[in-house]
Amino acid sequence: MKRTIARREWFSMDVFGIPLQGTHHFAHSNERNRTGILLLTGFSTPRAAHGDSGVYWAQSFADSGYPSFRIDVPGSGDSGGDVFTESLPFISAGGQGPVTVEIVKQLTERHGLNGVVIIGHCAGAISALFAAASCKECCGLVLMAPYFHVPQALRLKARRALIDWATRSRMGGLLSRLYLRSRDFRPLLRTNIPPKNANRPLLGRCKELASAGLPILVLKAPGPKPSGTKPGTGEFDYLGYLVKMASSRNRIEVKTIEGAHHNFANHVGRTAVQQHVENWLAAFFPSQDCEEALVNAGLCTGPYINPAESSGLYRLRKTSFSEGHGL
Amino acid sequence: MRVQTEYPLNHEQQEQPGYFEVPGAHLYTVLHRVKEPIARVLLVGPFASARHYSYTYWVLWARYLAHRGVEVLRYDYRGVGESEGVFEEMSFDHWSEDVQLLAGWLRGRSPDVPLVLHGLEIGAILAATAFYAGIGDLLLLWSPPANANQSLRSELLRWLALQQISRYSGERKPASVFIRELEEGSSLEVAGYRWSSRLWHDSFKVELPPGLGNEPSLQSANVRPLKIVSLGKEAAPLVKSGYLAEEEPKDFTWLFVDNWDWIAINLDHSGEGE
Repeated sequence: MKRTIARREWFSMDVFGIPLQGTHHFAHSNERNRTGILLLTGFSTPRAAHGDSGVYWAQSFADSGYPSFRIDVPGSGDSGGDVFTESLPFISAGGQGPVTVEIVKQLTERHGLNGVVIIGHCAGAISALFAAASCKECCGLVLMAPYFHVPQALRLKARRALIDWATRSRMGGLLSRLYLRSRDFRPLLRTNIPPKNANRPLLGRCKELASAGLPILVLKAPGPKPSGTKPGTGEFDYLGYLVKMASSRNRIEVKTIEGAHHNFANHVGRTAVQQHVENWLAAFFPSQDCEEALVNAGLCTGPYINPAESSGLYRLRKTSFSEGHGL
Repeated sequence: MRVQTEYPLNHEQQEQPGYFEVPGAHLYTVLHRVKEPIARVLLVGPFASARHYSYTYWVLWARYLAHRGVEVLRYDYRGVGESEGVFEEMSFDHWSEDVQLLAGWLRGRSPDVPLVLHGLEIGAILAATAFYAGIGDLLLLWSPPANANQSLRSELLRWLALQQISRYSGERKPASVFIRELEEGSSLEVAGYRWSSRLWHDSFKVELPPGLGNEPSLQSANVRPLKIVSLGKEAAPLVKSGYLAEEEPKDFTWLFVDNWDWIAINLDHSGEGE
């Protein structure tokens, strides 16, 4: 049995006495003084993620010059720690935040990294937000399908049963269609105040980070709704709210990936995530490989030109952000 | 509530990940090491997209066994999870070969220690096939389908049902349309894995060995012990259930205790027979 194979190796680390297992995808050359990537999967998902999309992304980012790490958080995958039967409230309250901070610190120290960008999906995005607020080594965030409300375990169970029924019966399908249509009118009745079940501590952290100018890329998948319905209809616009509440220094970028599902595991989703993240990384955290390639191609002889400034690919700040996403 | 995991904290018992070389790829494996094991178990897991749901409990089962003095090897199939390889280029032949090579390696660690093959869903067919080729001393099967196509079909239906949520009834395509496409040579992406038409066609031929559905008659015809367990909704998310969304974590001690008892009793009997 080998520990290392071409381009990757497994690693373990001890966090608060819990042994964690992960996979390290090597960047092309010396990894010191680079920006690392930490991928956190969603609720109780092994580190390969849905459809092994985590493996695909980590390898892609490593190929672009960013050492990438996937790790199983306590109680999931190959890592130690107890499996919580009520992990949603735990994660929503920031329960995995301290563990994530410790992982980032250890990775930074072990590999001599400049900093770490945390890419979190779903519940992983929540942990990433809580961690980033108390971790100077975290230099950027990519939040995939984050949620800003507190899921209620009982409601969740009932909702699952309802979804199950709606997809299997004719009557369920009809009622589901009516429900989705009714959501078109709900925003008209609502002001820009977060609903009662909003995760206020999380919103607070997010606002702090955004106001401090931390680069944040948010990737959204259109919710489960019939084609022709506007994305996000009927839901409180948390991201718009955050941008409005954060200072003008905020560097939040939001992308909606049409054709992707919640887990972004299908071909459309995984490719779009890869491209958006790589463009965003090149803009905010240009890798040495990227700089060297530009120099070799004769495109850059002096200081590195930030593509964010030169190409306008990634428009910063609230005003331009609003243009693209109706926020 | 929390489900306690029997993670090894002493040096006599360790979980050792590694990469095992097979033709053209490396398989990701985790060996639950035990000092002087009373038996060894090779866990042959469910199909690609089902891995995700069952993973936590598969690991807990491995730890449960290791805690009782059984060395366990679990792994990801070629082209799946942490293993190398491109999923759409793989076939059931590759995955059968994975079982044989790993079982051979595990047996080679100390040939006199009994080897148990334990398969879940499609993994149960692969484990049973290896057992019938003479590999292993005990066979434990959880929810084996009659053939691999049954499992693929149920995975397809589950995935389609999730897709239907986002479509009006007029936009929904029945499963038969997708199945016809697969049968006519097109590939289909299911839960992030691209199923080739070849995979679909081959899945009909990947069956439980003849007569295995009839456990008592087989038990009497075979000197080596085997057990088949049919798991229902109560065992979700370890096995596929009626629910579409992810299941909440559960305590599977009831399942582990019962199956461990069977293994322990049959290990004793296999010792008597020698």
